[in-house]
Amino acid sequence: MKLSRTSLGTVLTLALAAACGAPASADDTTHTALQNRTIGYALTGTHWAVYQTKDGKEECPQGVNDMGPREIFNKMFPDLGPVEKTQLARESATWYPMDSEEKFPFHTGQSKKGIGLNLDGKVGPNDLTSPDGTPGIDNQLGRALSCVRFFRGPDGIGFHFTDVYVRQNDYNRAIIELTNVDSLTNDDDVDVAIYRGMDALMMDATGAKVVPGGLERVDVKFGKKFESHLKGKIVNGVLTTTPKDVTWPFAWFGGVPGEQKFKDFRFSMKLTEEGANGLAAGYTDVDNWYYSLAKGRSTHHQSYGTMSAPGLYQAMHRLADGYPDKNGQMTAISWALQLPMTQVFIEHPQNTKKAPGVVALSGPEAAH
Amino acid sequence: MSVTFYHTRLGKILRSGAACVLALGLLSCSEKAPEQKAAQTAPAAKSASNAALTGLKGAPARVRRLTPEQYANTLHYVFGDDISAGQPFAPLARTDGLLASGAASISMTVGELQQLQRNASSVAVQIIDKGNAETRLAPRRDYLIPCKPANVAAADDACAAKFVKQTGRLLYRHPLSEATISKFVADAHRGASDLKDFYAGIGVVIEGMLIDPNVLLVADTTEPDPQRPGQKRLDSYALASRLSFFLWDAAPDDALLQAAEKGELQTPKGRARAIEMMMASPRLEAGVRAFFDDMFGFEDFAITTKDATVYPMITGQTMIDAREQTLRTIVDLLVTQKGDYRDLYTTRHTFMSPYLAPIYQVRPTMGWVPFDFPADSPRVGLLSQVSFLALHSHPARSSATKRGKALRELLLCQPVPPPPPNVDFSAVENPDARLKTARARLEVHRTNPVCAGCHKITDPMGLALENFDGAGRYRDTEKGEKVDISGSLDGTNFNTVEGLGKALHDHPALPSCLVKRMYSYGTGGPLSTSDNSAVTALTGAFAQDGYRVPDLMRMIASSDAFTEVVDLPPPPARTAGLTPTGVAVK
Repeated sequence: MKLSRTSLGTVLTLALAAACGAPASADDTTHTALQNRTIGYALTGTHWAVYQTKDGKEECPQGVNDMGPREIFNKMFPDLGPVEKTQLARESATWYPMDSEEKFPFHTGQSKKGIGLNLDGKVGPNDLTSPDGTPGIDNQLGRALSCVRFFRGPDGIGFHFTDVYVRQNDYNRAIIELTNVDSLTNDDDVDVAIYRGMDALMMDATGAKVVPGGLERVDVKFGKKFESHLKGKIVNGVLTTTPKDVTWPFAWFGGVPGEQKFKDFRFSMKLTEEGANGLAAGYTDVDNWYYSLAKGRSTHHQSYGTMSAPGLYQAMHRLADGYPDKNGQMTAISWALQLPMTQVFIEHPQNTKKAPGVVALSGPEAAH
Repeated sequence: MSVTFYHTRLGKILRSGAACVLALGLLSCSEKAPEQKAAQTAPAAKSASNAALTGLKGAPARVRRLTPEQYANTLHYVFGDDISAGQPFAPLARTDGLLASGAASISMTVGELQQLQRNASSVAVQIIDKGNAETRLAPRRDYLIPCKPANVAAADDACAAKFVKQTGRLLYRHPLSEATISKFVADAHRGASDLKDFYAGIGVVIEGMLIDPNVLLVADTTEPDPQRPGQKRLDSYALASRLSFFLWDAAPDDALLQAAEKGELQTPKGRARAIEMMMASPRLEAGVRAFFDDMFGFEDFAITTKDATVYPMITGQTMIDAREQTLRTIVDLLVTQKGDYRDLYTTRHTFMSPYLAPIYQVRPTMGWVPFDFPADSPRVGLLSQVSFLALHSHPARSSATKRGKALRELLLCQPVPPPPPNVDFSAVENPDARLKTARARLEVHRTNPVCAGCHKITDPMGLALENFDGAGRYRDTEKGEKVDISGSLDGTNFNTVEGLGKALHDHPALPSCLVKRMYSYGTGGPLSTSDNSAVTALTGAFAQDGYRVPDLMRMIASSDAFTEVVDLPPPPARTAGLTPTGVAVK
């Protein structure tokens, strides 16, 4: 597929139909979530968008991959042997998967359906069709991951914990702020800023959902690398943005700092006053993405998900569809992330007030 | 340490039966401890500024148990805020509108005594703590024990005596007699020798003090009143304790005990000086918070739950902050701003936390910040705060009746009878689906004449708060039908929350109820007929003074009634073995 940097032909797909809360009832006092033509949202979970059916037969007719690190190791070294020729050799293959051909089968998604956005505005032969029938979906990473238990919901450990870590750890606190917003329904010109927040999400009494209306302070202790500014528009309540390269905070494990360097990143999100739900999509350098995974998820995690890292690496290169090198070899792969978000009020560093602590009986802190 | 002591002091208490604990405290009323015979002879002259309050009769002498907060505050003052006071006591029974009055009528089971002992042991261990080099925690023993033993593995009577004398005075709220000091030093000696550890011996002493009824029970010890021959007044140390628990919610500090030792509290000038010192202290905030926490029944926050599926925004932290918001509002208006008590029900000024902001649907800010609701906001006064609205609701729905009842009972001192046992709640519990609002459901309920009587005195003002759901969140409609919040309070009609707040603000029972509760709280027990003249005079003075609560506290603390002790009224015919509530045994 030929890459286009200019397309804004994003397509609303399955995720947009996911539950977005009803608009906040107009009630108390002076407030709506949209204040001063500004509204903020915080990421409350995330999944790599992988198309999957209930029994998996449509996308994985050969079944999901059942050859993880342990199975492959046992197959390769039934009699064991010197450590440098067994364990270290396999570790080397994991860290330098480009140096050897993986001989074990690695199944990728075979369905023509997929979740994602049309990144180039075209409908190519390898493109997918969204479950609602929209053609031209670019999400080849989703195909590569489609038959890996690690990434399949609801119980793949990567699927589950990548989502949980967003809520339980503050590192993954991606926040977005929309400004110059006249309406959350239709506005042909809005500004969208991406930051990293620093505050824990305010969970509700069930412990499962995030309460809208919380506070997120912009965290700049990592510098401005997580700060990006995009132009966007809102049509029928759906925000779409122009593509831009973005560095996105992403911890594969717990709150261990990590990041994804996304190319041609863009949103397609259904907005309400209580939350946003939809997709981010773009391209990512295959090698960068692979090493972020290999560093973030060790062999035992990969084993739980029967994921052969070298097999995945080679599949990603086979399916890569963007940013050709001088030889025409694709270096990047299209991807999509499912992003539930909840409305928050965003406070910028220059506006951050010092917490007053206890109320003094007298003195300036007791003044209004 | 614990085992040794268990077989001595606590063992005796347990073996003698739970009731003995209370009896010990009661007996202490009639027996002035030898160490309390400091100079207390100055006559009580009358203050010109307090003329209306002179000659008022006081209350009978009482014994009351420390509240958990008073116990903790005292430990924190004596040993530091980092000491965990634990949960030594069973909950108190609310009596005559106050837990503090319930503290004057308690019983203890053997299980509770054991809990007390375990708690005392835990506190003792913290005080003699060796520290932690890895975490750089300094040994508490190094700064809480005022001397170093000559040999840490042996008894050191001189050092133990120094600790006992210094710490015992603060915990017992008066200097210890030589005999008591000697007994504790002997305990410390025995413990240190048995356990080959000086500090273990000190731990035994601390544990013993913290389960001693003379520490846990506050007794109104008395002496002859030179101004009223044949009558009694609180002695200096009992007066110091009464002042301190009233104004600071803690035992007297060193300065107050010194004033008591010098007899200064029994002189008008001396008492006034001590009261001013206490009123100027930051610790006054703890006293004000404790009183209103008690008066508003905020102990119910510990047992109030909301249905998480109906009110998912109400978390444990929300409820903690709701309580804190109201207490901060009170302290700010009444103490910092020295405002009119009645304005608590009409003020739009409060404080906001990030956890409350989503409930109020306002923009959050880090930490607690002052916050003003705008003039057109339905949030006016304490009645529209989450603490009142959520506390007086059902787990999954609001309750006009509970809110009205709370307004009557907590704020106006007007008891509302409980529902009759055969009441039919079906109209509100399992309502006709066509009845969408609480008003409609209650109207049907009130068609039952058995129910109508009480609901007429609770619902008209409770319905005025129906713009707030059971979590305290604003709503215009209930089940799609616009909420009608018109109501009335004892002849004053209104159709806004502001109107309700104003009606309450101007209700004559509002200030008089506060005076009753505060006088009762200060004097340590429920009101009796002998208190009527004091309450009446104080209510008048409170009004004349512009309803300033710190001034009311000062007037109560300065009044003759606060220190004078009246005889018990003739006991009614009673069942043998029962003791009248909260009064001393002669």
